[in-house]
Amino acid sequence: MPRRRLWLAAVVLLLLAAGLLSLVEASSEPPRRPVSFPTHMREAEWKRHEARQTLPPPLAVTPRPGRPAIEPAPKRDPFVLALPVRPDEPVMVFEANALRHSRLGELFISCALAENPRTFSDFQKETGVDPLKDIDRVGFVGRAMVVSGYFDRARWERLVEEGRATVEAYGEAGRLYRQLDGSEVVGVWKNQLLVLGPDDAAARQAMDQLEGRSAPPESAVPEDLAYGEVYGVIPGATVQRLFSAQDQALGAKLAAAASRVELHVDAMQDVAAVVRVDGKDDQALGDLARTLGGALAAGRLSAKAGGDQPLTELLDAARVVNEQGRFSLELALPAATLERWFEDCAGRKEAGQRAGAPAPRPERAP
Amino acid sequence: MRVFAVALDLLREARSRKWTLALVGATSLVLVLVAFGLELDVVDGALAATRFFGGSGSGEIRPVEVALRPLFEAVASTIFGAGLVFGVLACADFAPALLAPGRIEQLLSLPLRRWELLVGTYLGVLALVLAGALYGGAGLSLIIMAKSGVFGWAPLLAALLSAAAFSAVYAVMVLSAVAVRSAALSGAAGGAALLLFTVAGSRSDLAPLFSAGPGRTLFLALTSPLPRLTGLGQHAFRLAAGRGTDLTLLLAQLGGTFLFAAAVLAAAVALFERKDY
Repeated sequence: MPRRRLWLAAVVLLLLAAGLLSLVEASSEPPRRPVSFPTHMREAEWKRHEARQTLPPPLAVTPRPGRPAIEPAPKRDPFVLALPVRPDEPVMVFEANALRHSRLGELFISCALAENPRTFSDFQKETGVDPLKDIDRVGFVGRAMVVSGYFDRARWERLVEEGRATVEAYGEAGRLYRQLDGSEVVGVWKNQLLVLGPDDAAARQAMDQLEGRSAPPESAVPEDLAYGEVYGVIPGATVQRLFSAQDQALGAKLAAAASRVELHVDAMQDVAAVVRVDGKDDQALGDLARTLGGALAAGRLSAKAGGDQPLTELLDAARVVNEQGRFSLELALPAATLERWFEDCAGRKEAGQRAGAPAPRPERAP
Repeated sequence: MRVFAVALDLLREARSRKWTLALVGATSLVLVLVAFGLELDVVDGALAATRFFGGSGSGEIRPVEVALRPLFEAVASTIFGAGLVFGVLACADFAPALLAPGRIEQLLSLPLRRWELLVGTYLGVLALVLAGALYGGAGLSLIIMAKSGVFGWAPLLAALLSAAAFSAVYAVMVLSAVAVRSAALSGAAGGAALLLFTVAGSRSDLAPLFSAGPGRTLFLALTSPLPRLTGLGQHAFRLAAGRGTDLTLLLAQLGGTFLFAAAVLAAAVALFERKDY
């Protein structure tokens, strides 16, 4: 065969090989969207807030004949009104229903169901409350917990019938269930609100505020701060309590510089958190912002060096934003990262199904 | 060995060319401009502000490696694209000069096979482009490291990927030069190859534009052996963005590029064998 033909044969073979390699195609990965941080109340959250103003003022004011009509007080959000706020106590609210329908919530629920398919149905059977549908919001105020939702089907009477609790009517529409072992008191208001606490003080305060027997305290979570799926306010004085023993130095520095710490978490797609720190001493806040920025950088390097991929990804999107008189720490977990974290659940589910499947019957001898 | 002797001879020739020296000078000038124009303020391991040529910075504090990602992304994209254009412009003249009347006859009288002459020239040019890419890429990496304390591999990796992609472009330019001895045509062929390889890189996006049937099948068949230029560029960008990359895909695309380059070079040798000088 002439040498030229050999070269031409090589051309054909090499082109075919290149064509074969082209069969390895890129996977269709969706482009990464920028994470949207919850920095202010958005339109949907304003609408949600307005729809929750359902509680009329406690006393209807009827104008006397000949006197001008008095402007009626606006309706209020019963959940916010019920929060038994005390000075210097942190308040944290979880939008349970929104969280349940968020990407994080869906992943968490499918993971919980993969581990135990009766996780939620057992709870519903026991209490009559479907945790996936009947709970709207959960608020933590100091040592008390306030839950809003639909509790018409809750089996309160069972607690009394089984001799586990006593019941006492309170106010116009409230009931107090006291566990006989003295561990907890549950206040129920109109089957819409539950107030749980170690004693009845929080439940009484909440129902007094709802029924107008005591003036509601200044709200710890002002209306324009009720955005995101998790939000809350921590007074500066209590910030240090949130830190572990190892991080007390940072906690003390934060408590000294911050007069208030706000938290907002958006979890509908990506999980994006904004921690806003307000303070009066600009110099101290600036120092604190730089310290946190340095800690983030060092933490990320350490996580990367130690092969801690989840922490590296979390700190990848972390930053400190300096503003006048305050700074914000922004942290984010992209939805794709969340999905990777929960990937194991699918594996566990399949393993569970395999384990639960009936074993194949041994073949009978003919 | 004789192939490498030809390649070394080409490098010696390139060193004496004013055009090559001018391009090296231009690259150095860009590096110096970047060195003086880039201002990075690094505070306690976190980046307080980034300013480029006097632009204002933001008040954000974040890990310096993360904050520099946009810079590395921009640098990687620029080096990848500019490296290819630089290669086409700088090397358009080498193969036609080799085949110029007077010189080719002298070369063919040497104890060299024709394919050794052509492959040696091709490898010499690739070595030249690789050296230029390493100079630009490593230079930028070092400048950014001097300014921020962070060494980013992105500029260097982008330069290497650009040199790899250029291997296929230059093979087309050599084939063109063997067919017609013209530096202008060789440069034009390089430009056309860049365009064609870019189209091949987006073939899966472009294929739906053809109605299903023979037209789409022909388009996919014709573009299947072509190097994926945009794909290689995306690897450079993803690595600069710290997002990692699909190693299997990268190796497949690099393999496809080198196989295509080898095929075109074999075609050029086949044509060269038949030519009568």
